[in-house]
Amino acid sequence: MSTSWQMRNTEQKGLNHELLALTANRHGNLLASWLNPLDGRQLFLELEVSNGSFPSLASVMPEVAWDEREINDLFGWIPTGHPDLRPLVRTERWPQGFFPLRSLSEPPNWRDVEPDLPSLKVEGEGVTIMKVGPTHAGVIESGHFVFSLMGENVLYLDAHLFQNHRGIEALLETKSVNEVAPLVARVCAADTVSNQTNWALAVEQLAGFAQPPGLVRKRIILLEAERILSHLNDLAQIPAGVGFQVAHQRALAMKESWQRSLKSLYGHRFLFDTVLPGWARSAPSEAVLDAVGKLRSLWVPWRQLVRGHHGFRNRIKGVGVTPLERVVRLGAQGVAARAAGKPFDARQSLPWYRETFQGAVTQGSGDVGARFRVRLEEVEAAMQLIEEAAVRLRETDCQEEEFSLPRELSGRAVTFTESPHGMNVHDVTVAEGRISRYHIRSGTYRNWPLLAQAVAGNAVADFPLINKSFELCYSCNDR
Amino acid sequence: MSKSIRALHIRHVDAGSCNGCEQELTALTSGYYDIQRHGIDLVASPRHADALLVTGPVTDTMALAVKKVWEAIPSPKLRIAFGDCALGCGVFQNGYASEGGVKEADLEIPGCPPEPEMALPILRDWMRTHRSGQKAYSEIAPDSQSAV
Repeated sequence: MSTSWQMRNTEQKGLNHELLALTANRHGNLLASWLNPLDGRQLFLELEVSNGSFPSLASVMPEVAWDEREINDLFGWIPTGHPDLRPLVRTERWPQGFFPLRSLSEPPNWRDVEPDLPSLKVEGEGVTIMKVGPTHAGVIESGHFVFSLMGENVLYLDAHLFQNHRGIEALLETKSVNEVAPLVARVCAADTVSNQTNWALAVEQLAGFAQPPGLVRKRIILLEAERILSHLNDLAQIPAGVGFQVAHQRALAMKESWQRSLKSLYGHRFLFDTVLPGWARSAPSEAVLDAVGKLRSLWVPWRQLVRGHHGFRNRIKGVGVTPLERVVRLGAQGVAARAAGKPFDARQSLPWYRETFQGAVTQGSGDVGARFRVRLEEVEAAMQLIEEAAVRLRETDCQEEEFSLPRELSGRAVTFTESPHGMNVHDVTVAEGRISRYHIRSGTYRNWPLLAQAVAGNAVADFPLINKSFELCYSCNDR
Repeated sequence: MSKSIRALHIRHVDAGSCNGCEQELTALTSGYYDIQRHGIDLVASPRHADALLVTGPVTDTMALAVKKVWEAIPSPKLRIAFGDCALGCGVFQNGYASEGGVKEADLEIPGCPPEPEMALPILRDWMRTHRSGQKAYSEIAPDSQSAV
């Protein structure tokens, strides 16, 4: 059985299929879902947990090392043969036998100890350990990093995340389908439209609702508007990492201008609560086109500024390199993967995007500079996608079929979109109108281990720069 | 300049936010809002701070860090709950690992997330009222806890 589970999954990996998600449900099943990126077809694999354990895939497929540790923490099922089974989500404070996704019970009696976990460090003469976080000097999310250093250079980085773990999946599993949307919209401010769309697609798939063209175009505008917003934020942070304040402040100003446009178009600066099953918020096409035009007038001179700055270009070259082979092995997603030359963008696997999407933007060098340039190209492509969708939306019949939610919705759907941080996946099971399992696998999740490896070998002073070039989320990672 | 305007230095801790509140706090420091102009700033160390600002519903794992940062801020000091999660009216307050917000906040800034345009006047007005010298802020600060 063990070999067949391993074989079936590694076969998928060997076919260059993308792992959508690996999780479990409380009935004792492991659920793996795979995507064929060429035709968008999905393949589901299941394995029954026996005697509280299951054969680990991590030694042959390192990309699931975290997923299996998470299953171990939250379900209490042991991945046999896992090379590093330290706790990932749970801390010393969690009571023994408390497995929140296995059985929903009363809030736990937390143990009265510190939440710190043992970390992996390098030992030896001249090695120093530098701990950073969970609180930081800047205004950022919480995470704890343990660096092993030799002089200025990073030998090893052990990232302890999940400081922001609230128990969102278990909370969703107490909800009826009518109550899900506001929670899903707030899992991550940077990827909110992507999360909202995944939930809407799941319900629509289970209800057998085919999205009319107008709805699709409204969603494309929102998804691309979110990509622009998130990329502008990240593009602002990278110059800050090397002290290029002019580029930093001007990009922040651009972001603010875009957020004000979004507020006036859609009523929210981050686009919370703009997509529901069967629905998406719309704005007049003319106003959308005006907003893009206004952004472009700020964007073009800014892009010239960063392109023409040799010092900046030199500084972001060759830093935080991720070889393509490592990207593939760790199943990395999004900008980080494309910057190393992996030509995958989930939009190309979505039939409703294929009409307008021009293809994945790739680079080859896998360094900070490559991640910067991929975002530059993607912002420009997103502006075009919005303009095209807005023009087409103008020609769309506004009387579209209305969606009505079936009363006793049941079934399982795995849905995905390309969020600004990579392929974002929801694995949703609904039973008679209530959520029985809700798993969120964000693009960020697969990239944290890659970031940790990208830092090793660099000067520790470059960690902020490398970190900003990935700009990974904590909230949707920690849930 | 009125003597009522005194500096307010804020130490931010994320205790389970979605990153929306963080982005809006960062926006407050950008050229559009420029909170420094009002004597308000976000500082890098609790030792430099007059107030602790918490975002998020306070996760179990972050609760101790929040307490330690609070204890490291010299008295007298103030607590600010920023955003609906920290106020205890967010969508994740009933998560099993969530404490449901900040207890005993001196100032609450609502919103999901609070828009900088709304947050800035709240901070500014509050600073003028409560730090004017007429109302000593030892009254609103809890018993001075010795810093760790």
